[in-house]
Amino acid sequence: MSDPLVIESIIGDRGDPALAGRLHEIGHHGVMETLVVDPADLPRRRFHSLTDAGTACFVALPRSARLFDGAVVWLDGQRAIVVRVGEQRWLRLAPGANAALELGYLAGNLHWRVRFDGDCLLVAVDGPIEAYLARLKDFQQRGKVRIVE
Amino acid sequence: MRTNGHGAARVGIGGPVGSGKTALLERLIPLLRGRGIDLAVITNDLVTHEDAERLRRARLLEPERILAVEAGACPHTVIREDPTLNMEAADSLDRIFPDLDLILIESGGDNLASTFSLDLVDYWLFVIDVAGGDDIPRKRGPGVIQSDLLVINKIDLHPYVGVDLQRMRAEAAAVRNGRPVLCTNCRADEGIAAVADALCDAVLYRGA
Ligand SMILES: Nc1nc2c(ncn2[C@@H]2O[C@H](COP(=O)(O)OP(=O)(O)OP(=O)(O)O)[C@@H](O)[C@H]2O)c(=O)[nH]1
Ligand SMILES: [Mg+2]
Repeated sequence: MSDPLVIESIIGDRGDPALAGRLHEIGHHGVMETLVVDPADLPRRRFHSLTDAGTACFVALPRSARLFDGAVVWLDGQRAIVVRVGEQRWLRLAPGANAALELGYLAGNLHWRVRFDGDCLLVAVDGPIEAYLARLKDFQQRGKVRIVE
Repeated sequence: MRTNGHGAARVGIGGPVGSGKTALLERLIPLLRGRGIDLAVITNDLVTHEDAERLRRARLLEPERILAVEAGACPHTVIREDPTLNMEAADSLDRIFPDLDLILIESGGDNLASTFSLDLVDYWLFVIDVAGGDDIPRKRGPGVIQSDLLVINKIDLHPYVGVDLQRMRAEAAAVRNGRPVLCTNCRADEGIAAVADALCDAVLYRGA
């Protein structure tokens, strides 16, 4: 196997006007590659991965950097590599009557990543969904939560 | 090749009390140094520097390369909820040793729920042992499931504690969806090279 490309910095955002021209150019005359990163892995700064075109990459970013969707991590005459964040699955939970506090406590205690949307609690699903459903089962049976989707 | 100026790679070693985290460090340190890896260690203990002092006494590394962080409270808080103490310790090692390749961070002994924040480490392993029982993987603790590498230590003890090692290993692989599981015996120095290979492959660039 050939040596991986070593990615040591984030060059910019795909949307930056300064980069857009060069990316456009490469899109026509070179190779645009995508590096898919799982949402749960975004905080990682060192890992090996393959682009969609099969190019081996070794990411070794400084501590201060953090990957994001659209991050341009490689740019030369022939090739650009842009990060795409894999789709985040969410579990939408509606708390039962007077059970919102308890549900919030449960989610916090389990270190779930959450967002709020109106009366609903959105839980980021990292890994098998069964693990989440198992933790909610007792709440569900006691009418303290309804799994909306 | 060293990826310069970005600080050393950071690898966490977590796991229940007494599973053999320090014993694994004692085996890994000479092995990694032998591979030319510039190394430092941070240990976390509740209210003492016990593990750091043990490593210093063993003279496997210069004493300045071994830092101790006192968690003061639940050990998982300083590796997950608020890892700033450990991040500061690692930053200071990066400043003192600019050529450092790798910092190993041992968590204080905890329970099966402990996990590392990816703000603190690039990769982390979770060490359990056969003497804890072969039902441990089945209990699906977040440490067992989410770690990048699960190490089952003290395999020499399996005949004495009535543990079916093959089954324990297979169940561990199953709950982890096939992510890596390695077996070690730190007493007799078995399986350590595979652990070193796994973490070097994951976070260090070893090109031509
Ligand atoms: N038989 C056997 N004993 C081991 C092995 N690894 C560690 N031990 C012993 O297990 C005990 C605990 O090992 P440590 O390395 O201190 O465990 P630890 O996980 O660092 O413990 P804490 O930091 O206190 O949580 C010690 O008495 C070790 O000698 C092993 O592979 N086989
Ligand atoms: Mg220890």
